[in-house]
Amino acid sequence: MKLCRRLKSTSRNNKRDLRGILWILPSFAGVLVFYLLPYADVVRRSFLGAVDNQFKGIDNYRLVLDNMAFQLAVKNTVRFTFICIPALILIALVCAVVLQKSRYGGVIKSAFLMPMALPAVSVALMWRLLFHSQGILNDWLSALDINGKDWMNNSSAFWVLVGTYIWKNLGYDIVLWMAGLSGISENIYEAARVDGASEWQCFLKITLPNLKSSLYIITVLSFLNSFKAFRESYLVAGDYPHESIYMMQNLFNNWFRDFSFDKMAAAAVLESAVLLVFIVLFQRALDGKDYV
Amino acid sequence: MRHRKLRRAVGVILSAVLFVGTLAGCSGKGETQTDSPTGEESLKESNRTQESGERVMGRFLEADVEFPAPIGNVYDMKKQSDGSVRIIISNADNGHMEVWDSKDAGANWEKAYDFPDELQNEDVGYVDEAVLSAEGQAVCVFSNTEGDGVKPMLYLLSKEGNASKVDFELPERTQNDKQSTVSSSFEVNEDDLKDDQNEPSEEDESSADGELEDAKSSEAEESEDDFTVGNLITEIQFLGNDQVLVSDLTDNIYQVNLSDGSVKYTYEFGDGEQSVQTPYIVGNKMITVGGGGVSIYDTQTGEAQAADEALQNNVFKNGMIHAVDTTDGGESFYYLDGGLYHYKFGGSIMEQLIDGEMSSLGAPAFYPIALTMMDDQNLLVAANDPYAVSGLGISLLKYTYSADTPAKPEKELKVYSLYENKEIGQAINSYQKKNTDVYVNYQVGLTEENAMTVSDALKTLTTEIMAGKGPDVLVLDGMPVDTYIEKGILLDLSSMIAEDEDNYFSHILGTYKTEKDLCAVPARFMIPMAQGGSAYYNPGEDFDTFTARKDLLKNMDPKSVVEKFWYSCGAAWKKEDGALDQAKITDFLTKLKNAFGEYDSSTEDVGTKVFGSTITGGPETVDERRPETLGWGELELAGGILNVNIGLCNKMDYGMIEAILKRVENGNFGLMPGQAENVFVPTMIMGISSKSTQTEAAEQFVKYLFAKDAQIISQSGGFPVQREAFLSVIDGHQYEGQEDLSMAFSGAGMAEGDYISYMAKPTPQEEIDKFTELVESLTTPALQDDVIKETVIEQGTKVLKGEQTPEEAVNEIMQKVKIYIAE
Repeated sequence: MKLCRRLKSTSRNNKRDLRGILWILPSFAGVLVFYLLPYADVVRRSFLGAVDNQFKGIDNYRLVLDNMAFQLAVKNTVRFTFICIPALILIALVCAVVLQKSRYGGVIKSAFLMPMALPAVSVALMWRLLFHSQGILNDWLSALDINGKDWMNNSSAFWVLVGTYIWKNLGYDIVLWMAGLSGISENIYEAARVDGASEWQCFLKITLPNLKSSLYIITVLSFLNSFKAFRESYLVAGDYPHESIYMMQNLFNNWFRDFSFDKMAAAAVLESAVLLVFIVLFQRALDGKDYV
Repeated sequence: MRHRKLRRAVGVILSAVLFVGTLAGCSGKGETQTDSPTGEESLKESNRTQESGERVMGRFLEADVEFPAPIGNVYDMKKQSDGSVRIIISNADNGHMEVWDSKDAGANWEKAYDFPDELQNEDVGYVDEAVLSAEGQAVCVFSNTEGDGVKPMLYLLSKEGNASKVDFELPERTQNDKQSTVSSSFEVNEDDLKDDQNEPSEEDESSADGELEDAKSSEAEESEDDFTVGNLITEIQFLGNDQVLVSDLTDNIYQVNLSDGSVKYTYEFGDGEQSVQTPYIVGNKMITVGGGGVSIYDTQTGEAQAADEALQNNVFKNGMIHAVDTTDGGESFYYLDGGLYHYKFGGSIMEQLIDGEMSSLGAPAFYPIALTMMDDQNLLVAANDPYAVSGLGISLLKYTYSADTPAKPEKELKVYSLYENKEIGQAINSYQKKNTDVYVNYQVGLTEENAMTVSDALKTLTTEIMAGKGPDVLVLDGMPVDTYIEKGILLDLSSMIAEDEDNYFSHILGTYKTEKDLCAVPARFMIPMAQGGSAYYNPGEDFDTFTARKDLLKNMDPKSVVEKFWYSCGAAWKKEDGALDQAKITDFLTKLKNAFGEYDSSTEDVGTKVFGSTITGGPETVDERRPETLGWGELELAGGILNVNIGLCNKMDYGMIEAILKRVENGNFGLMPGQAENVFVPTMIMGISSKSTQTEAAEQFVKYLFAKDAQIISQSGGFPVQREAFLSVIDGHQYEGQEDLSMAFSGAGMAEGDYISYMAKPTPQEEIDKFTELVESLTTPALQDDVIKETVIEQGTKVLKGEQTPEEAVNEIMQKVKIYIAE
């Protein structure tokens, strides 16, 4: 009798499992067709010639790793990522906490979202007007008797790119942080205050631990959005911007133009491997149970 | 629980829909044409036959009409009420105007009569325009040059050729009209014109002997009135058999009764925006096309009619109207830029009957004169065509509808170029004429409409090639040729070229030759050249000597200066390892800055627009020359604004060169000094895609581009690499026997009233030999790399403008180029 019941139960669990798979099948098929299979093709191509498709072993990888342009692009991309993302997350968190307590938080939050609604082309045009050697910014500076410079053609271009990225994505991250903040029960704060906890202690001991799951999502999304900074950079400075803002996307863009699919494939595999390692490590660091 | 099964079923169905919907994007629907139906598809259903499957049959076939006399010009051609066709020509042998008839739609011709002597007496004047009616009468505009200025008169010729003057006086222009004309175009002193033609002075006689007539000073000093003419007739059209429409310089159109010369109606278009180009007749209606769009007038009442929106939209969509004709059945046919169209007033679309791309009608250098619809399946077209079979510059073509011919040839060959190439467009046209089974689909990457960047266009091309939908033939100008060769994008053409290599300038042909193969071959080339007085330029001197002259390049546009010297210097910068020589670029910019002097934005060259005219008749030409060419600055050199003229030489007009050099002291011309020596610029670089599925057809087409027929096409795209065609392009043979043809040019770089004038003449043999020898000496191809070129031009311009030092510019260049080369 017991055995019979166990078998029945197992059969029901299997059915449930199968039903679950059935539900994710359409989505999985899309991922398979549009991401996994093309990715497998990229991996295959990374061992072949660009147009003749002849097997080249690891030559493409060697070529890419020795390539000065690739090294520069990796260096700049890493630098950009490690400066932008922490800065963006922190600034957005501070803003979110302040806005959460403000009566006009909702309205101000919407204002922060405005840059996201602006098309990249408009932003690029604004950049040009602002940061050109004879642009508005230099006009203002000259009015203050300060010598201007060609902002996009020297090392300041990097900080312009950082500033633009933060300006554009701040609203989005604030919204995400505020969503996370609203999920924390007020009762916890009240209990802590009754126990004599200060505001700072409440923030450190209650707010931050409860925002772990939001942190993961915000970090990943900010990271992905950081790739989009390329659009503005490309529209303003073209294929070959100042070397401080020459990113992986510039390199891929130019390699694609020149039929260098072999190098592109190898570099893409290397980049995805690094990203995978980064995401796994980040997941582990944040303790997976909280956010999966 | 009761509906559990139903819910499951719905869930499964929705999942399936979602799944299928997700994959729907993978279908090949992307290839669906969204354009309106092509002309072939819109041919009349009655003429269509369906062969296998979807294949649409029926196409107008083009053939040259054999004419018994050499045609120097066609004035008009008209179908007669008895079914014959009548044409007014000028005989190329003697210049006489003749009227011919054909009773079999152009197969055989008989001369009807010669124009009366009184209209062919050059001492009295000349015939500007002539038009025919369906009853065989002709009306001509006779420009009388007796007395002061030119007086246009109308003459009516009966069917048999008896002339009688029409009592019509063209109203005089007001002073305002005159001023507006003077400010918008260049006009030639008609007294001089008459002298040039009929009473050559001592100077003119020397011109005929090869010497330049000096038109520099005396004309410039004369008053403005001497340079204006009275009112002139610009266009004339027959209206029925007893009226004509006459348009004049004031943009008025007069409806004139031929019987008494009275003006029935006057249509005024004085407003600049409404300016009329040409009136066309459709039944009793007059159509005019001007800046304000298409206007329709009822010639019975003289009143404007409601705008025909569909006509207007179609004309704007399919290009300008070149000619209109109506069949006996009242059907109207329009010759537009896009080909031949049929349209009925009040209709919604124009049916395309002949695709301009697949016939001579759309050829870049085909300028129609007359369209004659014999019926809705047969037509004749006369046009100015420098590449006419007759070699006389006039094409007389017959189009006959063939129901058995596929509407579109089965074979389609895709040809791609980044920039529009007029020589290719013209060559495609000639090729299709000879190969009616091939449709050559010419695609241009960068057009005014798509506003793409070079990089975007190249990426789109990459995608198409890799997807197997790319072009078969590539015109590689502006593309990374070396990269394409290295990546195996291009097929080896060495066997194709090797066949008769001796007939070509092999050193230019082999620009991209490697030990293994020859994948890209220039079909043309340009030469960096300079012209100027001995104080500023002496042929053969080096870059250092040339640029040591302070302010040598003053008044030039800084950007064009850097670009022009890029061609003569860039080839010396590339080191063996592919990197750029920093020291040489620094030296280049430093010396260029010295020769340029201080930048003065007020004197910056804003672009020359050249107004030209053939004094002895023929259409006025407005030539907007390319800034990098030698032609761009020659009038500024003549006008004394420039000390020296530099640029790419892409054509040889010896008369013009000589006329320019006469204006400077000890003038001379030769190779442009640069850091590299004996430089040429390969252009129209041809390649065949290794992904092409029609390599044989592609090879055949490319081979044609190197044949003499295609090589002699010259539209400022460079000199041909084929020797015979090269000689034909530089020898000025078109001026043989035209010793009275006087040319005049003026431009923004010359003082008001000043112009260059010279007698057109063939290039002397010694000059041909000298120029050929110069071409033989060219050994170094200019550096062909647009990324480096753009970077150098951008930074170099800043140096010449004084915005940065040569050292700073070079650092910038090296930094950007370093990344590019490393990629």
